[in-house]
Amino acid sequence: MSQATPADIENLVELFNRSDWEEMHLKTDGLEIFLSNDPAARPPGQAAAAAAAAAPAPEAAPAAPAAASAPHMTPAVTAHDVVIPAGMVAVRAPNLGTCYRAPKPGAPPYVEVGQKVDADTEVCLIEVMKLFTPVKAGVNGTVREICASDGQMVEYEQVLVIIEPDA
Amino acid sequence: MSIKRVLVANRGEIAVRIIRAAHALGIEAVQAVSAADRDSLAARLADQVVVLGPAPSKQSYLDARLVVHAARSTGCDALHPGYGFLSERAALARLCAEHDITFVGPEADIIDALGDKLRARAIAEDAGVPLVPGTDQIASPAEARKAAAKLGYPVVMKASAGGGGRGMFVARDDASIDASFDRASSEALEAFGDGTLYMERYVENARHVEVQAAGDGAGRVVHFGERDCSVQRRYQKVVEEAPCALMPEALRSELHASAVKLLSKLKYKNAGTVEFLYDVERGAFYFIEVNTRIQVEHPVSEQVTGFDLVQTQFRIAGGEAGALPRQDQVRLARHAIECRLNAEDAANNFLPSPGRITHWSPPAGAGIRVDSHCTDGYLVPPYYDSMIGKLVVTAHDRPSCVARLADALDDFAIEGLTTNLPLLRYIARHEDFITNNFHTRWLEQTLLPAFEQSIKE
Repeated sequence: MSQATPADIENLVELFNRSDWEEMHLKTDGLEIFLSNDPAARPPGQAAAAAAAAAPAPEAAPAAPAAASAPHMTPAVTAHDVVIPAGMVAVRAPNLGTCYRAPKPGAPPYVEVGQKVDADTEVCLIEVMKLFTPVKAGVNGTVREICASDGQMVEYEQVLVIIEPDA
Repeated sequence: MSIKRVLVANRGEIAVRIIRAAHALGIEAVQAVSAADRDSLAARLADQVVVLGPAPSKQSYLDARLVVHAARSTGCDALHPGYGFLSERAALARLCAEHDITFVGPEADIIDALGDKLRARAIAEDAGVPLVPGTDQIASPAEARKAAAKLGYPVVMKASAGGGGRGMFVARDDASIDASFDRASSEALEAFGDGTLYMERYVENARHVEVQAAGDGAGRVVHFGERDCSVQRRYQKVVEEAPCALMPEALRSELHASAVKLLSKLKYKNAGTVEFLYDVERGAFYFIEVNTRIQVEHPVSEQVTGFDLVQTQFRIAGGEAGALPRQDQVRLARHAIECRLNAEDAANNFLPSPGRITHWSPPAGAGIRVDSHCTDGYLVPPYYDSMIGKLVVTAHDRPSCVARLADALDDFAIEGLTTNLPLLRYIARHEDFITNNFHTRWLEQTLLPAFEQSIKE
């Protein structure tokens, strides 16, 4: 395992939950995980921090808008950088525009987290001056994260959706 | 200032210039960039940056819808188009108006009218501005000889239907009309399906002069003097200066008055330039066209008048009272010369030479101004035009200005890529340039052959 993806961690947590184990401690090159049924338990020789790792992987999305309000004199162009976990594919904006998650107001969104998609599945719309261009997934897989909210301005190459490709 | 936030829809040195002018007036600047310009100086100076699209201009700087969308979604109430790119597209001005964004420039209909060469000529004629004297259709050599006698030799015959030089010839006397008329007519017939010819006065020793002006949109127009942009290569200006030192004072006043007359008739709003051909021998000038934008060479007019023209553009667009000075407040003094610095190899057919600037050391001192977006380590991208900056020198008269220009060019050090600095240095020290004895074909016909020879030696 070169680098664990959120999906890998979810799988491990699920495995642990289904097992009758009391504790699990996994350590590889880039990752250390300690899972336990005892809330007071700590990994050998380490403090509380690792316990957080046992929680479901948090959505990275809320971090991006916070960074977007870049202060004066600093380039805002890096503000939308989202870390793409290894093995995942980012669907990016083909140009600047307004991102819409549904084909029309009130309609259900094109995709939700956890949904299976194929390469031709539309994941959102980019609007420029009332001209709407659908954005496709480009890959078969599962939606793992939605990084742009409905009605948000997105820039060229900004990450819209993260997809875990089928194996 | 009613404008709060402006979208800068351009790149390079003019984007930097616009941002600085905006900040001086308390206007916030949002810089729209392509992916290639994310780290540009303009992006660093702006209050906010938005990436429009990939590097090619068509998918970024040349897409009016993208640019206006960017302005709307970033809360801009104005848009400055700079020069080049979308600056003279009426569609952009129209799109801005439809979305309540103040376009820093003239109205869309005016851009349309002046962008059409024939309509622009008709407008000029209507305003009493001189055009190159010419004739209607001419049917025979005899008719042509009669017309030439009226216009005065030399004359040029052109095909009514055409362009690109076919069916065209220059005649210096009756004999050359007889010798060339029939061949030119059949050439035109073959090329354009129409053998009709017409005649214009031929200007042998032409200067390119242009009047910088600005209007308030209510019929008041003020000029900021003229510029002489006769050092050109393939119709691209290389060196520009203000004033046109060899023009007699009476003719200069007439030139200014013509430009003001034309633009006031249109109730022209914001900055514009009226271009003329100056026939030095005949002591006459003829209308060419109107540029409805701020021009690359605007700094020389700023240097001799003391007005900041980009700030003036914002103030007019913002509807500020007193944005446009009274004509008697515009005093023309001193002499200014601008050189365009290009990343191109003048010794190798002007091949563009993009790349990384490893060392950027501009000259400094009294009367020296450098408008540029370049810095140490800046990568000149290959997608756009090759201009990397403008050196503008000012002195109390032309001879001292030329001397200062030559010194400033010597002090300019740019390493890492090939620039046209050697050519500019050669121009500044050439006898014809020093004595102000050149015309619009001089760079191509006289200077470049001598420059190429000097490199070989």
